Amino acid sequence: MMTVAVQMLLMPLVAFLVGLVLVLFMRRLRARIERRVGPPLLQPVYDIVKLYGKRSQISHGPMHEISIMMVVGGVIAVVLFLPVPGMQGLAAHGDLITLVYLLMVPSLGLALGVGQCANPNGSIGISRALTAMVGYDIPLMLVVAGVAIAYGTTSLPQILAMQGGTWGVFQMPLLALAMLIATYGMLAKEPFEIYTAPAEIATGPMVEMGGKFMGALFVMQCFQIYTAGALFTVLFLGGGASWPGFLLKVFAVAAIPLTLTNLFPRYRAERVLHWMWKWPTGIALLGLALIMLR
Amino acid sequence: MTLLDGLLLLSLITAVAMAWLGARAWAGWLGAGLYAGQLALLAGLPMPASSAVSFAVLGHTLHWQMGALGWFFALILVAAALLATWYAAGAWRRTYPRRRLLHVTVALNVLAMLILLASGDLLSLFVGWELATWSGYLILTQAGGPAERASLRYLVYTLAGGMAVFAGVVLVDVQVGSLQLADLRAAVPELSAGSLWLLVLLFTAGFGIKMAFVPFHLWQAEAYAETPGPVTAFVSAISARMGLFAMAVVLIQLIGPQHLTALQVPFTFLDAQGLLAWIAAITAIVPTFIALTQSDARMLLAWHGIGQGGYMLLGLMAGSALGAAGGLMHVFNHATYQAGLFLAVAAVIYRTGTSDLDRLGGLISRMPLSFITMLIGIIGLAGLPPTNGFVSKWMIYKALLNGEQPLLFIAAVIATLGTILSVYKLIHNTFLGQLRVEHHAVQEVPWSMRLPMLITALVVMVTGVTPGLVLDAVAPALEAIGLAAPAYHLGGLTTGNGNLDMVWVGGALTFGLAVGLAVFLLGSPSQRTHQWDNYAGGHFLSADIRFHYSHDFYPGLMRALAPAYRGSVRWLEAGLVTLVELAASAFQGLYRAAPLPAYLVVGVVLLLWWIQAS
Repeated sequence: MMTVAVQMLLMPLVAFLVGLVLVLFMRRLRARIERRVGPPLLQPVYDIVKLYGKRSQISHGPMHEISIMMVVGGVIAVVLFLPVPGMQGLAAHGDLITLVYLLMVPSLGLALGVGQCANPNGSIGISRALTAMVGYDIPLMLVVAGVAIAYGTTSLPQILAMQGGTWGVFQMPLLALAMLIATYGMLAKEPFEIYTAPAEIATGPMVEMGGKFMGALFVMQCFQIYTAGALFTVLFLGGGASWPGFLLKVFAVAAIPLTLTNLFPRYRAERVLHWMWKWPTGIALLGLALIMLR
Repeated sequence: MTLLDGLLLLSLITAVAMAWLGARAWAGWLGAGLYAGQLALLAGLPMPASSAVSFAVLGHTLHWQMGALGWFFALILVAAALLATWYAAGAWRRTYPRRRLLHVTVALNVLAMLILLASGDLLSLFVGWELATWSGYLILTQAGGPAERASLRYLVYTLAGGMAVFAGVVLVDVQVGSLQLADLRAAVPELSAGSLWLLVLLFTAGFGIKMAFVPFHLWQAEAYAETPGPVTAFVSAISARMGLFAMAVVLIQLIGPQHLTALQVPFTFLDAQGLLAWIAAITAIVPTFIALTQSDARMLLAWHGIGQGGYMLLGLMAGSALGAAGGLMHVFNHATYQAGLFLAVAAVIYRTGTSDLDRLGGLISRMPLSFITMLIGIIGLAGLPPTNGFVSKWMIYKALLNGEQPLLFIAAVIATLGTILSVYKLIHNTFLGQLRVEHHAVQEVPWSMRLPMLITALVVMVTGVTPGLVLDAVAPALEAIGLAAPAYHLGGLTTGNGNLDMVWVGGALTFGLAVGLAVFLLGSPSQRTHQWDNYAGGHFLSADIRFHYSHDFYPGLMRALAPAYRGSVRWLEAGLVTLVELAASAFQGLYRAAPLPAYLVVGVVLLLWWIQAS
């Protein structure tokens, strides 16, 4: 058993590396669909190094800088509470509810930083991002409620232990499906990418972000994709006894939204809400009803 | 004379001193000192503290005794008065001409609420309730103008509530024959379901009006928002919570959760506790989304105050010690960040003269400390870690999930999501975005205003990371109303099925921030640019170009929600309005148009009937 201090260093590192590979996968896949070759293996690393090393680094004020630290800090804090094979991290000190609320910290950090940038394109982007959050968080929280009631616990290690026999996805397929869709919305890929919307609002929150500020957002994306896959794996796929099995599951889950995204154009903001409140919420409510009737 | 008498006497002395010396320049400092003295007395109060004063009215003994529950509320009350008076004592006082009135009304409110919190029987509870109601009217109406109208509405609502409470007291007298708390508690098992229902409804309506629960939610926001400067922070932190105190006493301590769950609502699956929980959940949602549409900072916050009250009742009605602890803890937590938020808004008004969210922006560079206060305040209000708002909400969520009530849980989550949207709009429109030309010369507020603000922010963070400090006060309060306290430690709670240790959560965030800082410093050094150097699609920006997105901040959400406001909803609303108008004109007809002889006839008939009946 490693000490907590070592785990606090290792867990974010692993999450980051896996996230980098997932980003590479996402880009390569899109390239193949568009009959391009796609970027080389280390391209995500080159991108981050390039962004951090650029000579022109435009800051719009202290909150802009702090927000970038909040973004990185928030995603790191999240993965510390997400148990992975061999490492429990801080999962004994915070539960599923804590984790879901920690997920909002990087979003809030980003929102504050973009606000300081004083560009209406960015503010409109944040307005849309928060609107989308109202959309996908309702089904996500329904899933959290269903999972917590079905397993009788919100502690992630206990949830993993409960899935020793059967994976959660077989016990509650509807909730798993709803979670998958809500996660898709959370990753803000087409058709839910209302807040970047390059053709409309000049990439929204990113409009005043350059250099290491953009680099931090890149890092955040790596962590987010990993977290989305790992959270689903922990809740519904029984986590993993070994790293290869765990990573396979994370990849399989993350690949679903990253693949489907290539099929869609973009929704309007209120269409996202309608869609999210209709389909994943409906499916989650049905799944919840099944849990409650058991 | 006991220590409790001493406390009440000091509170009375504060009111008298403010009436006498309130117009002096140093009156605020004197007041703050007196509140500090009250706080010291409060800290030394034995539990339960009895008063030596008692007298009998119509065969009922009135006496006063402050238990741990009252002490918990009193702590928040006096601390809020101290901070608000401190804030008003320095430079702020020059902006407000009616200082004597301001100090007197605050002192009277503290006195009245202390009397209420120290009530030892139902009659003294009612007396305290009425005192708090009337002193509340004084504090709300003092600013004049729109405040007068709003506080008149408050008075109508709370007087109706007072009547309901009085009817409840009379009902207890008739059914039990005594107004002592112990007697009622002993008699509750023998009461019929009908009279118990009546008691629950009368007391809930009466006390709930003060908390502005739906459907009595319309009066509060305007009345609170119009009070002057730091007084808004005081009333929003504690005034409405008197309703929760009284509900906790009557519903939990006297009637008891087991009797609430035994009361079934006919033709539904709900019992009385479930009904109240749903009222609380709807109160958490509806005012929050009304807050989201406000364009005035104080109105926005005041609407959130109503919504957060819903969380408190939801916690109390979650049906477990964990939930009740969360509900009570939320009273303290909400008071801290709500006071900080209102003080920060008062600071903005002090410097810019407005709280209109469409006429501000970019003040972060001019008022960084006010910004920090508001930032910590909104994180608390939104209930995100590592602030104290998250801890109490976590407890309520956890209690609802343990109680297998997913729909109430989702209702609470929806309210939280609405809150996040709304508070971001608040801080964005005030402190972020483009700084307006007329605000370029604005400066941070003086230290007399900074310190109280920053203290609230500090409390929000410290009790967020070490919630055990607050739970130390909540646990005896729970035991005082007959509930067990959940197992807790300095960092949070250990339940069998999911733990929360805020020391670790805060530590994880600090660690993450440190890594973020290290990574940030690893990159090439950054240069600050002026806000006019922004990307503007090829145009040049200058001082006269408004480049700030503030009005109608969430059009997507509004377009999604607006279609719900049609058809049957509109029809129902119109029907309700007509019904109220009909009732109003019927009553007006009674007291305005009906001729005197008609009353005489009715009176005589009733008199004859009574004589015959007796």
